[in-house]
Amino acid sequence: MSEKRMVDKNGMRGGAGLSAVLLLVGFVFQWRAMVPAIGAALAIGSLFGLRYSPLGATYRFVKKAFRLSIPVEPEEEPPPRFAQTLGFVVCGIASLLFIPGWNAAGWTLALLVAGLQGLLATTGLCIGCEIYLYAQRFKAHEVQA
Amino acid sequence: MIARIIIAVAVSGATIALAVLWRRREGRFDEGSGRFTPADLGVVKIDRPSAVLVEFYGEDCAPCVTVEKRIGKIAAEVPGVQVVSIDAGARMDVADRHEVRRVPTLFVLDPDLHVIWRASGVPSEDAIRTALLGPDWAGRPSPNGAPRQRVAR
Repeated sequence: MSEKRMVDKNGMRGGAGLSAVLLLVGFVFQWRAMVPAIGAALAIGSLFGLRYSPLGATYRFVKKAFRLSIPVEPEEEPPPRFAQTLGFVVCGIASLLFIPGWNAAGWTLALLVAGLQGLLATTGLCIGCEIYLYAQRFKAHEVQA
Repeated sequence: MIARIIIAVAVSGATIALAVLWRRREGRFDEGSGRFTPADLGVVKIDRPSAVLVEFYGEDCAPCVTVEKRIGKIAAEVPGVQVVSIDAGARMDVADRHEVRRVPTLFVLDPDLHVIWRASGVPSEDAIRTALLGPDWAGRPSPNGAPRQRVAR
């Protein structure tokens, strides 16, 4: 395997849990600004790397502040970074849907992101990462064919 | 407000239900079928092992590293087990033939390379040991409770 930048999977899960909770709270109180805010946080992770993600930084801060002994679980960065890109795109579309007042459609997409982030937080199953790996395999299949 | 709380709880409930379902399936060994050839495994000669453990891995696949560590440890403990790792991206033909849809996927083969068990995801160490050694290795049930052929001598 080639050398790639590593990230902490538990940090990703912590950040995903935080974003899921924030999106659900935003939905309950109809804070539409929460969706572009989470989208922006995902965009930072996607564009600059997960170590710069505010969500991951919050996890690291909480872990340090409360001296939580959660082990670091290294994982290669490309799949979760791709997943963050997907999350950013969906949150971006949801935010755009709020502009003409299509709130139901916007919140549906936001809740989809919240659900997937919640799944990642609780199980470690990253649907975006699975899509990335599947796409990589499909690409390899095309090259071989 | 109440309707929104109900929707938020429903989304959370659906997420938890999916999580429970996924955890039950993740790394679970199911009975397999089919047969590998030495060419599939990329080896010229199989040393008549008691069992062959085949792992399909992929580049960028973090769970594959966890599985590799576990099978490395178990292979060191269980005599006669031959471990073969196959890059699913580089050996798409073999992966397709054995219906490998995600990585990591593990196969436990008998000495004649017939598939006994298969699992996708990250099985626990105990599940791998049980798949290799049979239901009675430590008085434990077979991977899914069903008795199956004992593989290791």
